[in-house]
Amino acid sequence: MKSYLSYFKLKFINGLQYRASALAGISTQFFFGFVYVLVYIAFYESGSSELPMKLSELVSYVWLGQSLFALVYLWYKDKEIIKMIKNGDIAYELCRPQDLYFTWCSKILGERLSMVSLRFLPVIIVSLLLPKPYNLVISTNILTTLLFFISLVLASILMTFLTVLYHIICMFTLDEKGVVNIFMVLSDLLSGLVIPIPFFPKYLQNISNILPFRYITDFPFRLYVGNISINEGYIGLITQVIWIILLFIIGKLVSNIAFKKATIQGG
Amino acid sequence: MSLYLKYFKVHFKSELQYKLSFIMSFIAQFFVFFGYYFTIICLFDKFSNIKGFTMYEVLLTFGVIQFGFSFCETFFRGVDQFDDLIISGNFDRLIIRPRNILLQVFCEQVSLIKFSRFLQSIIVLIIAVYNVDIEWNALKVITLLCMLLSSIFIFLSILIVAAAYCFLTIKGLEVRNVLTDGCKHMAQYPIGIFKKGFVFFFTYIIPFGFVNYFPLRYLLDYETNNIYVISPLVTILYLIPAIILFYKGIKRYNSIGS
Repeated sequence: MKSYLSYFKLKFINGLQYRASALAGISTQFFFGFVYVLVYIAFYESGSSELPMKLSELVSYVWLGQSLFALVYLWYKDKEIIKMIKNGDIAYELCRPQDLYFTWCSKILGERLSMVSLRFLPVIIVSLLLPKPYNLVISTNILTTLLFFISLVLASILMTFLTVLYHIICMFTLDEKGVVNIFMVLSDLLSGLVIPIPFFPKYLQNISNILPFRYITDFPFRLYVGNISINEGYIGLITQVIWIILLFIIGKLVSNIAFKKATIQGG
Repeated sequence: MSLYLKYFKVHFKSELQYKLSFIMSFIAQFFVFFGYYFTIICLFDKFSNIKGFTMYEVLLTFGVIQFGFSFCETFFRGVDQFDDLIISGNFDRLIIRPRNILLQVFCEQVSLIKFSRFLQSIIVLIIAVYNVDIEWNALKVITLLCMLLSSIFIFLSILIVAAAYCFLTIKGLEVRNVLTDGCKHMAQYPIGIFKKGFVFFFTYIIPFGFVNYFPLRYLLDYETNNIYVISPLVTILYLIPAIILFYKGIKRYNSIGS
């Protein structure tokens, strides 16, 4: 346990070094958030009868998504791990007394948390200070805020297990570009990062409600902006826990097969 | 031109060597593109119009912009990845050859995987042109062709400016992504839907308005003046300072060796 914690710490502290790249990330996030908000406002000004979300909710959703982008996006490839798989260095890793699955989990979680902790604050502050229709609205309900933080913690665990699973799949395909890319793109779409789930066509909403991706992005954010009621929130939290357990079991099983049959590349 | 074609053939063959990987990446790119497309479809499922523009009109602008962007990504990828060239020191090789430097940079890389996006943007364009409520005549077809051309020009100039910037910073910064991806994202919608300040910025500073907004108004019969037919070609003017900037950059260039 202690060794995994130190992997986590190592990655976390290492990640904090890259401040310049964080600055670039912040400006990108801010710019994109602004573009999204402008487009949505233009849509809302054009008017429509039945809308699944209020404008203020949607705008807050966008800003939350942009500020926590580094934590919730699923198109994430750990260069180090993929390089390891490709050049055969994974052989050394497999010799270590730790379980590689947990090592990867703690590494990825550490990296992502360090990325997000450098980035989220500026975006949140600026988006809070923006004038009325463009701004992030702070939730005044203490209970939803509390539930939001719990669900965010669960979401980051969920994200970690999912990302690790994709990296393990790389061990079979030996390439991160093909199948893995497709998985990542689809999960990004279905997580609601591109556009909130309520805007999906009905049948896709039903599909994405069953799948885990939604519980990483769409669920916590909509809970915070008040689009999901508290009772639904409890159910969502339980679903998150169920998916965490399921993904953990799947990930562990697949990793056992993958590490046993691991083909070592190159020399 | 023949030099470019020769380079292109070589790159084409080399990419096809890895067949399975090529096909998979091709499909993956398809899904990436689908994400953008999907957003627009979803939004128009809930809203009937955006500031008076219907879905197929937006898809038309979307297609035009994606066409230009993916064209540059596919055929001029060397400019897109220019910082690699500088970091690896390979740029020195290009300078000493007796050919046009910019042309060589274009040739340096060709990405067939991005060709998938190029194909899709054409598909989207066809869908949009087929469904959009426009009475086509010769002038309007010319307008559309001018729009496509100008879309290529504008992204090419942005990429060249970004490449020139690499001479200063060595490492290509993410600022470039904000410029290319961000502009692309915004210009997917007719520029007129945004607030006045943005319209000004995207008409006179970065002339996206001439790519997708003014000609679109002509296509939709909001404007009848025939000057709008060739208005997209304003973007060619934009290319000139970009190229000058690039050559200025080369003069300052210090090899980083290795």
